[in-house]
Amino acid sequence: MKLNIEGLLVYFPYDYIYPEQYSYMLELKRTLDAKGHGVLEMPSGTGKTISLLSLIVAYQKAYPLEVTKLVYCSRTVPEIEKVVEELRKLMDYYAKQTGVKNDFLALALSSRKNLCIHPEVSSLRFGKEVDGKCHSLTASYIRAQHHSNPSQPVCQFFEEFDAVGRQVPIPPGIYNLDDLKDFGRRKGWCPYFLARYAILHANIVVYSYHYLLDPKIADLVSKELAKKSVVVFDEAHNIDNVCIDSMSVNITRRTLDRCQTNVETLQNTISRIKETDAAKLREEYRRLVEGLKEANVARETDIYLSNPVLPDEILQEAVPGSIRTAEHFVGFIKRFLEYLKARLRIHHVVQESAPQFLKDIYEKVCIDRKPLRFCAERLRSLLRTLEIADIADFSAITLISHFATLVSTYSKGFTIIIEPFEDRTPTIANPVLHFSCMDPSIAIKPVFGRFQSVIITSGTLSPLDIYPRILDFRPVTMASFTMTLARTCLCPLIVGRGNDQVAMTSKFETREDFAVIRNYGNLLLEMSAIVPDGIVAFFTSYIYMENIVASWYEQGILENIQRNKLIFIETQDAAETSMALEKYQEACENGRGAILLSVARGKVSEGIDFVHHFGRAVIMFGVPYVYTQSRILKARLEYLRDQFQIRENDFLTFDAMRHAAQCVGRAIRGKTDYGLMIFADKRYARADKRGKLPRWIQEHLTDGSLNLTIDETVQLSKHFLRQMAQPFRRVTTRTFLSLFNDLNQA
Amino acid sequence: MASLSEEVLLVVKRVRQRKQDGTLYLMAERIAWGPEGKDRFTVSHLYADIRCQKISPDGKAKIQLQLVLHTGESTTFHFANESTALKDRDATKELLQQLLPKFKKKANKELEEKNRMLQEDPVLFQLYKDLVVSQVISAEEFWANRLSLSSVEHSISNNNKQEVGISAAFLADIRPQTDGCNGLRYNLTTDIIESIFRTYPTVKQKYSENVPHNMTEKEFWTRFFQSHYFHRDRISTGLQDIFSECAKQDEKGLKSMVTQGVKNPMVDLLSLEDKTLDEGYGTATVPTTSNSSNKSLRENSNSAIIKRFNHHSAMVLAAGLRRADAPSDQASETSSTDGNSRDSDFFQPPLKKVKLQEAIEYDDLQGDSGRKTISLNLKKSDRYSHGPTPLQSQHYTTSQDIITSISIIQHEMRSYKPRLTQVMSSSAASSAIIALSPGGVLMQGGAQQTINQLVPTDVQSELKHLYMAAGELLRHFWSCFPVSTPFLEEKLTGHLEEMLQAAYNKFQAWQTRRMMRKT
Repeated sequence: MKLNIEGLLVYFPYDYIYPEQYSYMLELKRTLDAKGHGVLEMPSGTGKTISLLSLIVAYQKAYPLEVTKLVYCSRTVPEIEKVVEELRKLMDYYAKQTGVKNDFLALALSSRKNLCIHPEVSSLRFGKEVDGKCHSLTASYIRAQHHSNPSQPVCQFFEEFDAVGRQVPIPPGIYNLDDLKDFGRRKGWCPYFLARYAILHANIVVYSYHYLLDPKIADLVSKELAKKSVVVFDEAHNIDNVCIDSMSVNITRRTLDRCQTNVETLQNTISRIKETDAAKLREEYRRLVEGLKEANVARETDIYLSNPVLPDEILQEAVPGSIRTAEHFVGFIKRFLEYLKARLRIHHVVQESAPQFLKDIYEKVCIDRKPLRFCAERLRSLLRTLEIADIADFSAITLISHFATLVSTYSKGFTIIIEPFEDRTPTIANPVLHFSCMDPSIAIKPVFGRFQSVIITSGTLSPLDIYPRILDFRPVTMASFTMTLARTCLCPLIVGRGNDQVAMTSKFETREDFAVIRNYGNLLLEMSAIVPDGIVAFFTSYIYMENIVASWYEQGILENIQRNKLIFIETQDAAETSMALEKYQEACENGRGAILLSVARGKVSEGIDFVHHFGRAVIMFGVPYVYTQSRILKARLEYLRDQFQIRENDFLTFDAMRHAAQCVGRAIRGKTDYGLMIFADKRYARADKRGKLPRWIQEHLTDGSLNLTIDETVQLSKHFLRQMAQPFRRVTTRTFLSLFNDLNQA
Repeated sequence: MASLSEEVLLVVKRVRQRKQDGTLYLMAERIAWGPEGKDRFTVSHLYADIRCQKISPDGKAKIQLQLVLHTGESTTFHFANESTALKDRDATKELLQQLLPKFKKKANKELEEKNRMLQEDPVLFQLYKDLVVSQVISAEEFWANRLSLSSVEHSISNNNKQEVGISAAFLADIRPQTDGCNGLRYNLTTDIIESIFRTYPTVKQKYSENVPHNMTEKEFWTRFFQSHYFHRDRISTGLQDIFSECAKQDEKGLKSMVTQGVKNPMVDLLSLEDKTLDEGYGTATVPTTSNSSNKSLRENSNSAIIKRFNHHSAMVLAAGLRRADAPSDQASETSSTDGNSRDSDFFQPPLKKVKLQEAIEYDDLQGDSGRKTISLNLKKSDRYSHGPTPLQSQHYTTSQDIITSISIIQHEMRSYKPRLTQVMSSSAASSAIIALSPGGVLMQGGAQQTINQLVPTDVQSELKHLYMAAGELLRHFWSCFPVSTPFLEEKLTGHLEEMLQAAYNKFQAWQTRRMMRKT
């Protein structure tokens, strides 16, 4: 259908549209018009992605000079692929309606592991191995060697691409990951580098957050994206943690040991080269004196050693004299390493700021701030000069150099915590140095600064005002949309008590309580008897789940549950969990019914959807608070309080509730879907918790469903399920939708 | 009466029944007893009719065996041969024990099927009540027609019949009972053993290896229940435990399942993340690499439980599916191994594409075009389209004719112009409409006084039942034509006539009763 959104003609590839999609587009249009940033919350399953794409593509077509590019960031590979497929659908619709052949170039970009077509390299299992192997075949000096010595293996796909791929632009169209691979195979070009090259002139790019947020990658991949781009962060409820993770470093004793080996290897290589090819080192020295940056072409393949700091922080001067020669630099690193080792040899916890750390290091081993800042840059140069092929081996020393650069660049927003042992095992010495970022706005700041419009959107962004605060930006639009429903297909219930009236809660003081565990078990048992097909249950943490499962086993609760459904449990091993997940779906598919026990904040809760019969009920056991005793968290809370005036408790509750909402939201993935959402903790009934749930869940939480016993829950659930099991009369939604559509049809 | 071809499995002499001496015969399909000196059986039961057998306690003076039938009747045999009575009885018992289950299943299945049909279909149930309970026709005759109908359906659907799966809690069903003197008793039934074997093929293998050469069956199961294998939270493996190998094999199976990976790319957690942070970055605490050493025993056993639950559920699931799709499973297995070696990406996309498409569809936003219709399944479509008319006399229109006639009609319709001047006057039209609407002149008498408003509902329903019962009888009647066998002739002339008479009488009785009540 064609829509008129405040004067903009929007093609929408469906015959009908939900009202909330229309209002979403309206808000989006206003944001783009104002060239500002926006925060938009709309429940999943209401077609957020297609609304976004429809509007932005229409905008791009109408004002090609205002918005030149759409950069769509999502979280996981399947989500990226889904976005591209939706885009394909939209473009097909455009072609059908207008009769004009599509002239848009849209493509997905992913890591080498998902794009490589080299028979040997792509058969490796882990991303890091693929990257390392690829590097050893495509690094600039390897290719240079290949010229003089043809027996040196190189990647023929890259060579082919390098020779002709750049001159011929990739024809317009929609390229998903598999399409890129197909295209690459046909042409004999490397799809990865083709995609990386093509994003510069593509109209739409779909990739993962990290390509924009992690400075180590963003600098290489996304550096040259035009300013007039619209950036969309989908599923952005966790974006602050992504920002923080990309800027934080942990150093253990093992890292230092491996770094030690790295340093020795470097030393040996240097002395060997000195004997055979001293000119090379002299050439490097000369370059460093002149402060020459490497040519861009050479850098493209040398992804590993990028600078960990943000582009505007990188110094545009020459590397200081004290670390210019290779031996001096290695000596410098050695000294730094010894200092770190000494720091890790402690028996009590130390917490300090970056300036304190720098002061201490200057006093102890006379290392200045300036050479530290150039550590990453200098190491990159050295590794290239020494022509070290297998960069993966040097991850430890790279990490240390990144730490050095980061700690000397940022004086605010970071903290250093040295812990001699883990809290749970105080007898085992396992010293760790956490260099932890506390301010998510540091990593995302260049994104907001550089692009004209940044849209942050997700199904669960409540409370909306907290995101602009912690990410430090000023949005022009903030809106939360609810779901218009022809039937109430979600049923949130808060279970506060067992049948014996004992309060159910995962509060720290009572979580080991026998009665609480038994009541949780009874709840699951009762639900397993009445809910058809799949039930997903989330626990607050992995250890908590392990304990509960063990005591349920001892009490025979699990056996009783098994009479109704098969049980699958998330483990800490991703491969094992994948298998359990697949079996779970199989069991739901063939009608046996199954229960999946899983963990909030785990991979399942973040990335897997339980549509239709895969999740007819979600049970959230307890409130998924983060482990509050961790020092890193404490430091972060303090920082949030001082800098953004966010109270500790507000943030903790916000964080817990967004994860709870994520978990329960997994079950509803559309309006034809239905599911129970059971919050099994009496604390959910409190206004401060309830108020932080997304609007579309809150709306359906009546006062009658606040503090239920297990029996009451079962009654309400039975009623709900019986209602929902009736065939879904599409007519009702239809009339509803068409009424609305008649009003808005362009 | 007894056909000679029947195989006699056991003959026991000097068995008394109702104070009469006689001989007991156990044959292939029935048990029979004949009094001494006569060559016919006065008692004869099909095994399928027997619900169970009971024996007198060991201490009793009389050594007896009682057969209880499904109908509730029972027959008691008294073994009277002093010297060998006990032996005779036990031999009979043993043999019956072997024979009965074979027939039981069949009988039960039929009964169940009948029960199910009656429960599912209230109309049929009513018919059954009207005809069988009131003894218009016998139960067998009633079912003779029905079951054959359903059995036809069965034979069609037979090749994809589902196997009965295994209850996930079958291990939980084996409740240990204390026997009062510090021991535990486990009650195992054949079903449970079957379940164990099907779910854990390794145990079956162990069983066939060890029983009965190395140990007795009892010993085997005793060891099974003592082993850590059964108790999922125990970790320590004694060397003498024969099941430790099973556990190892399970572990291997689990590992191979894991390494095989998943076929559905949407649930593959390994490839979910696009760019994982390198080791050492991020705020998440680094998992300690040496996990087994600093984990407590309790934690270890907890994770063992979790692993075993996953494995158990997977095995139960697999056992249910194993036989059903053995060939297709093999196919998918090969393709999945292909999917692992990543150079064969050509095989992967279809599934992935389908899953992706599924994930992005909003079918309630779609137009109505794709409404699904049920396709008509016809064996001979020409018979459907032409009907049973004799072939030669019919003049068929060829498809060409049809097409041309359609095009002619279309052409005419295109040039159709309503002659608006020559229509009925509006007043005449409205008066016609008034006359035809409820309450109008032409609608008198029809609308208000339909029969279903005149007659009370209970009379209606009774009449309906009678009508249906009569219809059923007539169906029986017409199914006898053409009369090709003497049996049918007998049925027709004999009791069908009676039956119709009975039904008619019943109707008369109802009618008179109604009349009586009315007056």
